[in-house]
Amino acid sequence: MMPQLLTVRVNRSRGRRPIRIWVPVLPVALILSPLLILAVGVVAVACAVYRISVLRALGTSWRILSALPGTRLDVATGNTAFLVSIR
Amino acid sequence: MDEQRKDILRMLAEGKITADEADQLIAALERDQPASAGPGSAAGPKGRLKYLRVVVDATEDGTPTKVNIRVPLQLLRAGVRLAALIPPQALGEANAQLSKSGVPIDLTQLKPEQLEELIEALDEMTIEVDQPDTKVRVFCE
Repeated sequence: MMPQLLTVRVNRSRGRRPIRIWVPVLPVALILSPLLILAVGVVAVACAVYRISVLRALGTSWRILSALPGTRLDVATGNTAFLVSIR
Repeated sequence: MDEQRKDILRMLAEGKITADEADQLIAALERDQPASAGPGSAAGPKGRLKYLRVVVDATEDGTPTKVNIRVPLQLLRAGVRLAALIPPQALGEANAQLSKSGVPIDLTQLKPEQLEELIEALDEMTIEVDQPDTKVRVFCE
């Protein structure tokens, strides 16, 4: 299943409000679909140049995208913290 | 477990059960085997572990730093498939650079199946680095 929600949280130094961003992946992907189609075209050309199966490359890319849910990166140092979570 | 299997075979030999019944009983035994594995067994049933975790707890110049990374094992498997798409000329260049750095690994000899086995074996891996100001743990959960 492709990712549904990307969460980014940045806790800055003391006294400043943390930044929280929730990105619904599917609506954003729909909005950016013209760019995505362009990117797929570029990938297809690159695959042709390097003699790689376009279908295989796209299939693998989709597999990677589908495997992303559950990924979490949490870094905290001193008063600053950074969290990226994909669900 | 072997005793139970022997009992089933003995009953089959004595004609107390049919071959089909014996087959079903043995299949049931094999199904129960992973569940009955004790806590001392190295790993749980395959597919239970889903994530690779990297936890770093360090102190740099008196500032505590914590890193907590969780990567789905499925993502590593997909990455391995992506690696299989790398064109041979790029692998050749990578080999040359690895050799220069003192790591003489021939990436062209790595097969996707071998990498898949490597990912499977990660289930049983735990790395712990314990230093006075740094603790690193890499494990699967």
